[in-house]
Amino acid sequence: MESLRNWLSRGAEGVAAALLAALFLTFLLQIFSRYVMVQPFGWTLELSLVLWVWVVFFGNAFVVREGDHVTFDILYLAVPGRVRQVFALISAASIAVALALSILPTWDWIDFLKIKRSATLGVPMRTVYSIYALFLVAIVIRYAWVFVDVLRRGPPDEAHRVAHEAHDAADRPEELR
Amino acid sequence: MSVQLFVCLAVIFGLAAIGTPIGFAILVGSLAYLAVAGQDIALAGEQILAGLYESFVLLAVPLFIVAANIMNAGTISERLLRFCVAAVGRFRGGLGHVNVVASLIFSGMSGSAVADAAGIGKIIIEMMTRSGHYTRGYAAAITAASATIGPIIPPSIPMVLYALVSNQSIGYLFLGGIVPGLLMGIVLMGMNTVISHRRGFLLEDPVPLRELPRQTLNAFPALLMPAILLYGIYGGVTTPTEAAAVAAAYALVLAALFYRALSFGALYRILVESARSSAAVGLVIGGALILNYVVASENIPAMLARALVGIDVSPLVFLLGVNVLILLLGCVLDATTIILVILPLFIPTAGELGIDLVHFGVVAVVNSMIGLITPPYGILLFVINAVSRIPLVEIIREIWSFLAVLIFALLLLILFPGLVLFLPRMFGYPG
Repeated sequence: MESLRNWLSRGAEGVAAALLAALFLTFLLQIFSRYVMVQPFGWTLELSLVLWVWVVFFGNAFVVREGDHVTFDILYLAVPGRVRQVFALISAASIAVALALSILPTWDWIDFLKIKRSATLGVPMRTVYSIYALFLVAIVIRYAWVFVDVLRRGPPDEAHRVAHEAHDAADRPEELR
Repeated sequence: MSVQLFVCLAVIFGLAAIGTPIGFAILVGSLAYLAVAGQDIALAGEQILAGLYESFVLLAVPLFIVAANIMNAGTISERLLRFCVAAVGRFRGGLGHVNVVASLIFSGMSGSAVADAAGIGKIIIEMMTRSGHYTRGYAAAITAASATIGPIIPPSIPMVLYALVSNQSIGYLFLGGIVPGLLMGIVLMGMNTVISHRRGFLLEDPVPLRELPRQTLNAFPALLMPAILLYGIYGGVTTPTEAAAVAAAYALVLAALFYRALSFGALYRILVESARSSAAVGLVIGGALILNYVVASENIPAMLARALVGIDVSPLVFLLGVNVLILLLGCVLDATTIILVILPLFIPTAGELGIDLVHFGVVAVVNSMIGLITPPYGILLFVINAVSRIPLVEIIREIWSFLAVLIFALLLLILFPGLVLFLPRMFGYPG
């Protein structure tokens, strides 16, 4: 079970990295097409926007860790563990319930967009935006799980603090080299 | 205030206060707003998706993040620092000056204060504490203070975000940041000189002058980057967004081929981590997009504008008032949140009062960057605490004098709009 989760999260990281790399390359291609070939490809702009939307929602669904989020944690860190547990439960429950309720209406709208195609690539907008539905489902499942976990094992102690460090590890040269 | 707006704000502030990620708090609050107002709940997703999909300028955000991460990992930051040590390390408080000058140069290549603090900052703090001439707290504090310059001198992620909410030209905003960034550097170096003399910090062993050409040569390709970016943007070769891709590409070529300091595995880690931070920022941007929809449908900025113009506030008083507010909010909120959520409330009023919106934006961005080092919630303090293991208490004890001079610089920028607008006007800004 643990190794399966590990494997999945590695896979998700790979996809996110690939999306970002593709975004980067599309951009370079766009500059290249404009200045070297003089005839800009129209589709590069659209593709990079699609990739950006996917980086954001795929990333938040599967790659962003709890601690990577922008969070106001002064109060959370100042209260005793028992209160912290209540805070964490309210947070997780609100996110899971609100987003769960929005899934069906939102999917209705996204599904309706199958008739609309993007300007130059001609991809149905439903396909482009479907990542948002996936994001909603993934987040609902994740926070439902967080809720159960906090209920059983108490608040994630240093989650917020560790978070900052994890965040920075990203920029830490020696770990990257 | 309508019931739905009240519910919306209560949910957002309530959730955010207990530690819910800001992006999700806004999303949940907006869903509550739509539900109470009896509107289609799908509007939330619609606003976020359409907003992200249509805002071409936002593409600069992930690319600048990639560029900064590559520069830090690929020894580019390190070489830059060695050059600065050779150039300005010989004066009293030398490594403090090196710190500021390195930040100034680095800020011409990266658009993020956190990248500056975590990359260059980490290395210079080690150098400063190892020399034994500075206390740990002082090294950390001046690093945090100088990192705030990062997003003021172009390129700049926060300026891109301001451009998004205010519809101002990114090109002019970038230009408007150059003089303020230099001013911040000057006041910080001034304060460093004063403190170094007062406390009698010892001189470093100067790097022999004959070393200087070699160090310069070594750092030269990196030093070229700000010039390339500026030429790209203002020579009309690239849009500011595309300049972000150029920066990343140039950093990649330098690190991988020229300096040979970047393996394929390291590049992969950089992409993963950059995707992670881009997505996290993207969620807050998405939240801001839907919140702006709420704010617009409630007509809040116009109401605010009417009220303030009605009671006849002078532009200067308004500007000072908004800045005091941002400064206070900066103590507890993240800069992204301030720029995307708070500023849009005041932009219409500023316009109405005849305040130049490029001036307003640059001042507000400078101010929210100062907010990154104001305790208790200052992300730069946390970052430096995390990468250097120097206790927060020691950093905060030393931060006040630098904070004071930065606020002084901010005041100058507010009182003399020419400092901000001089360069944009030279390049044809009509304001």
